[in-house]
Amino acid sequence: MGAAHDPHTPLVAFPRETPIGVCSMNRLLVKLAITAAAGGLLVLNPVVAQIPPPQKRAEHVEITKSPELESAHDDTAIVRWTTTNPRGDDEHFGIVHYGTDPEDLSQTAKGHIRLNRNHPETIFRVRMQDLKPQTTYYYKVTSMGSGGKSDGVESTVNQFTTPAPGERIVNYRADSSLPQPK
Amino acid sequence: MRRHTSTVIAAGLAAVLGILSVPHPASAQAPNLFQPDIPVPPYNPYPPLPGSVPPTVLPPDLQPEIYRVRREVQTIFGRYFAEWQALTPPVLSNTQGEGNPPVLQGTGYQAVRILGGLLNYDENMSPFRNVACSSCHMPYAGFSGPIPSVNLTMVAYPGTFRYRANKRTVQRYTYAPYFPVLVYNQIQGLFFGGEFWDARATGFKLQSPDAEQAQHPPVDPGEMGFPDTACIALRISQAVYRPLFELVWGVDFDINWPSNVEQICSTPGGNFPTATPIALSAVDRTKANNIYDHWGQSISFLEHTPDVSPFTSKYDAFLVGTPGVTLTADEMAGLQLFNGKGNCNSCHVDGRSTTLMPGQTDTGNTPGGQAVFTCLGYANEGLPLNPRLPLFYESRPDGFGFTPNPDGFRYRDLGFGNFMRSGPQSAFNPNAFDWLQFATKTDGQFQVATARNVAMTPPQCPTTEAGQVDANGKPIPYFQKEFFHNGYIKSLKQLVHFYNTRDVGNFEFNVTSGHCPPGTTEKVDCWPMKEVLNNLDMTTGMLGLTDQEENQIVAFLQTLTDGFDPANPTVSTYKNIDTFTGQCSTTLPGQTASTQGNETLIPTWSLTQFPCATDICGVPPLPGPFPIP
Repeated sequence: MGAAHDPHTPLVAFPRETPIGVCSMNRLLVKLAITAAAGGLLVLNPVVAQIPPPQKRAEHVEITKSPELESAHDDTAIVRWTTTNPRGDDEHFGIVHYGTDPEDLSQTAKGHIRLNRNHPETIFRVRMQDLKPQTTYYYKVTSMGSGGKSDGVESTVNQFTTPAPGERIVNYRADSSLPQPK
Repeated sequence: MRRHTSTVIAAGLAAVLGILSVPHPASAQAPNLFQPDIPVPPYNPYPPLPGSVPPTVLPPDLQPEIYRVRREVQTIFGRYFAEWQALTPPVLSNTQGEGNPPVLQGTGYQAVRILGGLLNYDENMSPFRNVACSSCHMPYAGFSGPIPSVNLTMVAYPGTFRYRANKRTVQRYTYAPYFPVLVYNQIQGLFFGGEFWDARATGFKLQSPDAEQAQHPPVDPGEMGFPDTACIALRISQAVYRPLFELVWGVDFDINWPSNVEQICSTPGGNFPTATPIALSAVDRTKANNIYDHWGQSISFLEHTPDVSPFTSKYDAFLVGTPGVTLTADEMAGLQLFNGKGNCNSCHVDGRSTTLMPGQTDTGNTPGGQAVFTCLGYANEGLPLNPRLPLFYESRPDGFGFTPNPDGFRYRDLGFGNFMRSGPQSAFNPNAFDWLQFATKTDGQFQVATARNVAMTPPQCPTTEAGQVDANGKPIPYFQKEFFHNGYIKSLKQLVHFYNTRDVGNFEFNVTSGHCPPGTTEKVDCWPMKEVLNNLDMTTGMLGLTDQEENQIVAFLQTLTDGFDPANPTVSTYKNIDTFTGQCSTTLPGQTASTQGNETLIPTWSLTQFPCATDICGVPPLPGPFPIP
């Protein structure tokens, strides 16, 4: 490191004589110049982390694992399915159209996920709330990007039945190596 | 004469700080150099919590721990002061006729870095001269919270007026400058960039959300607590390092301060009639604002430098093929799980280009540079409400007539969505005209933090995890940290387990924290209800990881800690990591990383009895489709 200096010694030398104008004005100009220089120093730092552009959407998306019930309580249910990676928008929505009449799937639930660009397949999971207990629901699934563009894939109509109050259906359990509720 | 006096004072201070630059051993007694930490009785609205450990929101060692951190902050201030003294001054270049503006040539970078350090560790930047930025962000914790007992219990840190405190986990500085200005990407339909858990530092004026972030805590009543941003200009004008600030920024400190300025700047803010109680002329207000901008820019530059964000983790050394640096079997398995089954890198983007399989080598990298392990975006991970947060209890006026949280138990943290609505405990949305419409789709979302340095701890407490033992079976002391926006999660094991099992059908209970049913253990096989169900991220929640796989991801996360020296892997090179003088935590009987901190759980009040406040949940566009409980 260099030699120490008196912190109160000005590091910018001002001229002793001012050929024109007023000294304070010159000081102001110098200060403005320093400000501009230092400001530029900081603002022009390269930003390493960049927002990557969206991926090109897949031309064809397929459901590779049909939708099924992951779990259900008396008033909630989660369904899941797997597709080939639709690419496009990093943020995607799984969409479930459902209802108690297979001819009227007018209710909709959306599940927000973030695509993993490196994965060949994508798991969609959607939670439905405010269901009725011991009631059979019919549903079909689709998906879309966060910009609203559909992935162009839709399942057939499936069904599940919610359990009675206080009961639950668990089709996907935590791994057996983990503690389980008694 | 005046200059001579200042020089003598500066020399005296330097001598004191020189002594302080050697870390002090832990001591319960406050050193004599302190001004009284609390010149007025502290704000303590926190009720007894029967049957709780500890029996109030405040941890019992809070005051000595605050003093301990104050000593450490002053130690590091002394080190930056010494760096300034040793600095060869940069020279303002004469570029007349060259087509370039003048520049601080030679050591300009060092000058700004050191200035950022001096500002960051200066306790004078608070009304009672007892809180610096760094008081809540110390290097040995990856620039997150430095007090283990606070991380364990109240999560948020007391401000200049003890014990006003806020509501969220201290965010790490590391790699914060890499977040761009908050933008809404129309193609993706998403927000990127910004700073703070709720994005309220957008960066739109300074073109740096990190610099603008540094402008919030000084005037946050629950933090450094100045009543007026101009107080920063006043205190810098009185600082011993003022000449360095003038050198770097060329600013004009010739401000005509009103006679009551010292009184105003010595009073915690919150209850003044305006945001600018210091009466300044328009010209002087502009000068003060200019200084305040440069305050933020200086600190942001510090955070951009290797002092804070050096890209020196074991993982970085591994990626470039440093001789002798290999990942252990668990770390490598964790990396593959991070990218594969765990799906962590869908949001904590690691810049790899393929899904690694055993025997494969990844040669890709992030476009533009090294990965910062975040998608720079926001997500709602569905954390339960944490009833230990102090803000919930701060519903009556303090000694300065300020009520930090008039909503009391009705406060709910909607995160990004609350900012979109310019809601309480956030900030005014500077682009509400365009962005208010997005409030509903961002409710419950919080910033996706970088995974880098999530595991950083002081050298003497080498892990964040309870229950670890060394090769001889000896317990390893740990450093208690806090995770996610509300600090509900207390270990990395719990963090990974949460992602793995949050939605598992028989782990999910319609209860609030502290009310898991008999036969279950909260955070192990019982997850309470989400505070905000809307916009829930469903990428994770049911990953199917085994217990061992969870541990392997934790092992990988630990490779992302900066300061790894391939030549001496057991000694960190991270700057100022040696300054921790407190006590490590020791594992309680029967405790593991899975149950770490559970002894401090308290029952949440009835959310039905205290529903979401109307100034949060009653502001259009209303949260939906599910109501906020």
